[in-house]
Amino acid sequence: MSTQTGLLQPQKRIGWATWATFIIAALFLWSLIAIEFSPGRMIQVPAQVARVLSFFYPADMAYGWSAVLPAIMESIQIAWIGTIIAAILSLPLALFGARTLFPRMARLVKLISATARAFPEILLAIYFVPIVGLGAFAGALAIGISSVGMLTKLGAEVVESIDFGPVEAVEASGGSRILALRYAVVPQVLPEIVAHWLFRFELNIRASAVLGVVGAGGVGGVLLNTLRYRHFEKAAAVLLLTIIVVLVIDMVSGEIRRKIIRG
Amino acid sequence: MSAVPAKPPRNWLAWGGTIAFLVAMTWWSAHGIGFSLTELLCNLAGGSRLLQESWPPDFAFLPRLYEPFMETINIAIIGTVVGGILSIPVAVLAARNLTLGRVTWFVDRNFMNILRTLPDLFWAMLFATAVGFGPVAGALALSVFTVAVISKLWSESLEAIDMGMPEAVRAVGGTWLQMVQFGAIPQGLQHYVSYALYAFELNVRASMVLGLVGAGGIGMILEVQRANFEYERVSMIILAVLVAVLIIEQISETIRRRLE
Repeated sequence: MSTQTGLLQPQKRIGWATWATFIIAALFLWSLIAIEFSPGRMIQVPAQVARVLSFFYPADMAYGWSAVLPAIMESIQIAWIGTIIAAILSLPLALFGARTLFPRMARLVKLISATARAFPEILLAIYFVPIVGLGAFAGALAIGISSVGMLTKLGAEVVESIDFGPVEAVEASGGSRILALRYAVVPQVLPEIVAHWLFRFELNIRASAVLGVVGAGGVGGVLLNTLRYRHFEKAAAVLLLTIIVVLVIDMVSGEIRRKIIRG
Repeated sequence: MSAVPAKPPRNWLAWGGTIAFLVAMTWWSAHGIGFSLTELLCNLAGGSRLLQESWPPDFAFLPRLYEPFMETINIAIIGTVVGGILSIPVAVLAARNLTLGRVTWFVDRNFMNILRTLPDLFWAMLFATAVGFGPVAGALALSVFTVAVISKLWSESLEAIDMGMPEAVRAVGGTWLQMVQFGAIPQGLQHYVSYALYAFELNVRASMVLGLVGAGGIGMILEVQRANFEYERVSMIILAVLVAVLIIEQISETIRRRLE
């Protein structure tokens, strides 16, 4: 005859989750104090944001069609060329970066790709602008180089996950390593790698949109200038058109990716 | 008789169309941005001069980077924590199996997608305009950016959870909130931590460049030195950023792997 009602509570002890929460809270408080983000300051933020937003209406669409849309087109072009450069460079690197195919070379390739990934593209653009001059070309090179790292890493992971049967079949029938790559590896990995290229293109549109800040072409410079000179209606046009164009490209590209992966 | 199966017929129209589109797009883009290999090759001389100017990095400048560097880390921490907390309701309401209703789901989902379209530096420019130049603008910008990153990824993993537990909570009379809290979130917690760490990595990288638009951190020094063509200092800053990003990424990746 038991008088117990309900279930036993598991014994409470201070687990790692509590510690982690405590440490994060401490880091958070330290950061707030360090940048002087006091509660008094926080209370002001919503009003400040609302005030600026109220200047945004109505968007200056005449400016949008004449100045913003061409800049967005330039951002798309930068992203496209950057993605193409990265795709061409990363395809061989992804093959050589696969542990399962080239154990020794893979290490070196992975190290290079990790370093390339650590660079924000805007820092690369800072170097390319003085080399090839202000403009979109510098932006495309920066985007291209900085995308190589991620595409190589993702591509190598795809190659590492392939079925080895076809490779062995080509080699068993006397084919060379190169022939095995061409007929057994590439056909298996290409759909997924192309899907990664498209995904990177979506990311690159956002990346190229900000490159204008350092003079590397695209829509970022337009936004910076309209905000700097307090032309809020024009800035609103920049934001509106950027949101719409990026949404459409995301949707189309996402749909294509899903189709490619399904085969 | 050989039993080689016939090759499946290719859809030449689709292939031709795809290739034509790719070529046209590439031609249009290359033309639009003034892509030219000759220009690149002709300017390599200028490039090598620039590299000579940037080398060696000005190590005497390193101590002056300490303060802005810490500010950068502070911005990234605040952005990740605030954004991480705000992204919980956004993600839950955007998960088809947990949301409150079709309208809530639709509104929240589109809100999330719109947040995702704008890059981090756009948010930084907007907040710098609204609340003034400085790290507060950067922290706010990264908070919004973090919501965009985490909520999208996490709502997808929440959609894949086992619905048995949430249904059990409902069956014993739990409210919607209790269902989410006890039935859904525990299952998605591991993913959440992993995405939050990933967002932190992105935020560290982003916070390094926020200063270019006046939103605080090490980027503000970078912008000053770049404008003065002090390339030895620029390369010192970039080197320091690179090392810091790689270290933080390594730590974060180690934690993420141990969680799995």
